[in-house]
Amino acid sequence: MSNVLIFIQAHDKAEILETEISALATVGELHDALEVLGINVGADSFIFVDEVEEHENKERLEPLRHVKHGSRIHVSRCKCIPTTVNFLDRSEVREFPPGTRVRSVKGWAAHVFDMDPKDSAEHVLQLCNSTDRPPTDTPLHQLIHGHNCALCFDLVPEKRVEG
Amino acid sequence: MNMVVPPARALLEQDLAAPVLRCGEIEKRWRHVATCWPHVVFGVAAPPRSNSPCEYSFRFECSGYRQIPVTAQPWNIEANQPLPGGLWPKGGPIVSSIFRPEWRQGQCLYLPCDRLSIEGHPNWRNEHPSRLWQPKRGIVCYLEQLYDLFNQSDY
Repeated sequence: MSNVLIFIQAHDKAEILETEISALATVGELHDALEVLGINVGADSFIFVDEVEEHENKERLEPLRHVKHGSRIHVSRCKCIPTTVNFLDRSEVREFPPGTRVRSVKGWAAHVFDMDPKDSAEHVLQLCNSTDRPPTDTPLHQLIHGHNCALCFDLVPEKRVEG
Repeated sequence: MNMVVPPARALLEQDLAAPVLRCGEIEKRWRHVATCWPHVVFGVAAPPRSNSPCEYSFRFECSGYRQIPVTAQPWNIEANQPLPGGLWPKGGPIVSSIFRPEWRQGQCLYLPCDRLSIEGHPNWRNEHPSRLWQPKRGIVCYLEQLYDLFNQSDY
């Protein structure tokens, strides 16, 4: 069986890593591949694939369920990430799996705040109490620091570049 | 005789092979088309729209990489020359503020991460902190902005 290329984003590593595993790899084989890259999947860590809701099994002999060529493997201490989005005088909260990308959160926020596509296109998510507007491709767990698993965004108007 | 590769070129080549950039290629957000130092050409995916391409190409000039920001201009790959202003991406207020063919004769994009455009705009450091060049991340920070302009903004 052929190998598949996978990209790894782990809670304590800023950069994306890559490796290859068998397309039929087990959980244990993935753990071994991660260990070679310096990532130890401890009892308090969970592995998520792409934006899938449920984490992979922890039993070494179990097959991986969702991995395909080019998948992103997320190693996170968080089982889910309660995410608050503030817009004008409203706030909404939802729990997302750690691999959820910022663009998916924005899509959800635009829906719950009844924004039309034009309004949505002119707004961006900015981390609360900062000026940081992460690229929409960023998975949520990469924005988590320390042991807290919650995130907070403000949905703010994007500014024209002028001057 | 061994050729000495300039550090800027070595860093660019390192970044072109980096997982973060290859991940974007596999996810079809962008693709590396060619490198001819100090230039590198990328195609960036755009959503389907009538009478518009599904990808815009950009030629980046990378002298001094990564400490010095790159500068990019829309590029016609087939003709290997700048894309005529009439064919530049068009969109709402955000996109049209960035793709301005009249700005510096179309040599660059009106983005704070662009080397030519940040010159003379010290106010942008406060007004657009998330759009600035990031020397630690390199060209991927520019590509991410272009992709988001086409796919998450008012293109």
